[in-house]
Amino acid sequence: MKKKSAGSIAVMLLVMIYLLIPLVISIIYSLFKKWTGILPEGFSIGNYASLFSDPNFLASVGRSVGMCIVPILLTIVIVLLALFVTTIYFPKLEKYVQIICMIPYTIQGVILSVSILSLYVGNKSVLSNRMVMLMGAYCIVILPYIYQGIRNGMRAVNMVTLIEAAEMLGASKIYAFFRVVVPNIISAIIVSSLLAVGIIFGDYVLIRNLAGTSAPNMQIFLYQTMKSDSTKASAVFVIIMFVTFVITAVVLFLKSREGKNRVQKK
Amino acid sequence: MKRKTYIYLLALVPFLIVAMLYEIVPLLTVILKSFQSDGGTGFTLENYQAVFSKLLYQKAILNSLKISFVSAIVGIIIAFLGARAAHQHQGRMNHIFMAVLNMVSNFAGIPLAFAYMILLGNAGLIVSIGREFGIDMLANYNLYTMNGMSLIYIYFQIPLSTLLLIPAFDGVQKQWKEACTLLGGTQGIFWKKVGIPVLMPSILSTFSVLFANALAAYATIYALMMDNIALLPVQIAGCFTGEVKIRAGLGGALSVVMMVIMVIMILITNGLSRQFQKGGRRK
Repeated sequence: MKKKSAGSIAVMLLVMIYLLIPLVISIIYSLFKKWTGILPEGFSIGNYASLFSDPNFLASVGRSVGMCIVPILLTIVIVLLALFVTTIYFPKLEKYVQIICMIPYTIQGVILSVSILSLYVGNKSVLSNRMVMLMGAYCIVILPYIYQGIRNGMRAVNMVTLIEAAEMLGASKIYAFFRVVVPNIISAIIVSSLLAVGIIFGDYVLIRNLAGTSAPNMQIFLYQTMKSDSTKASAVFVIIMFVTFVITAVVLFLKSREGKNRVQKK
Repeated sequence: MKRKTYIYLLALVPFLIVAMLYEIVPLLTVILKSFQSDGGTGFTLENYQAVFSKLLYQKAILNSLKISFVSAIVGIIIAFLGARAAHQHQGRMNHIFMAVLNMVSNFAGIPLAFAYMILLGNAGLIVSIGREFGIDMLANYNLYTMNGMSLIYIYFQIPLSTLLLIPAFDGVQKQWKEACTLLGGTQGIFWKKVGIPVLMPSILSTFSVLFANALAAYATIYALMMDNIALLPVQIAGCFTGEVKIRAGLGGALSVVMMVIMVIMILITNGLSRQFQKGGRRK
């Protein structure tokens, strides 16, 4: 029995080593001035110092954050409204909402961006504005995650019964939805929004194809620096990965806490 | 009463507007435009003719199929071993393993390309080590080829596939293993005759996710190769963003081909997986 366990540990260790090598090497790389031979030379945090005094980098961070806000808020609102009416009044339509929400899983990235581009690029209206296109595309990309998060949340709190109970106490359905259901699923909404932040943060395809290099986010900034200065780029890399990991960790933490709460309630 | 509830349909309108503007209509347009010549109207198959007769696009389709298939297979094998290890061993190690997988599952796109450039690029660390110690295989590693990049594909498949497979292993019950041992079966026989067939539906569905994932991968590849590689997503994007004017028809036809490949893959894996579920029931 012991021997088998050792084998399993070895397999997991091997996989982890394979997965962590590129990360660890890049982090070490960012902390040195030069790494052309086998060992890095000249420890310094100068890469980070110069990065944080680079206005272009700071602007790209700002853009990365800013670009998350509009699509995520908009998607949460439209999905909440859609799921509210479909579960309460038109259960038959729920299937179609689900299909629309799931299509982006398969068409993400290149196909979505070129479809939007080819439809609106010659258009004279506000729809041909690159930023508008990008925001719209982000809404679609995060749609499956927001949809699933909110729907699972609604199921977990048993929304229909909750609304019936609130109605019995004299509340209207709309009031019950926004004052009883939504506060109860707020953690599900937060988790899916964080996932969405992670996706938009990591996006390169959509922003490059739709907005070009006119408004670089952190990914495009990394792409541009890695072509010219790889030690500086490694610092950008570390910051991007750090942000991504923090988001992942918070998502996992919130999810596990949620799981525990539910078990305790039972 | 009926009248009143229909008013609530209005709440669906914002959702439908966004979905129409940025999902449904764009997709339909791309499909429609693939059957039209650029600038002209009327039905034509010339774009598809170009896709299937030009060497570059033939190569793009073949390369994309090959790399998606190979990386999905290798990804599944490693995921199977990894998930089985996590299933057989219970302890602190599992938490660390899961944490690493989750962490790395978001490691893709430009950052991944950058990390591999540092490791295996022309002056990369591993390449330097290979040169220093005279290991030709490492010293001559060329990241900027189809084969060279397959390591990157495999890299981003591993966390995704392992995370998808780990829950499936919960379905493999201890009693079956005990029964198999009692009947004189070894570990190997157990996995061959019981474990893998039981897991097959999950393995197949994971496979189709991995295949689609590799087929659509773009950012990492673009970061390394720009437009100079025959792969479907790169060629599609090239049709719309290149310096020459937009070739919506051709790009549309390539997009349709890519979507059709994805749909076929999903149908095949679904069909196979149904076979396994049926087989399980009969026995």
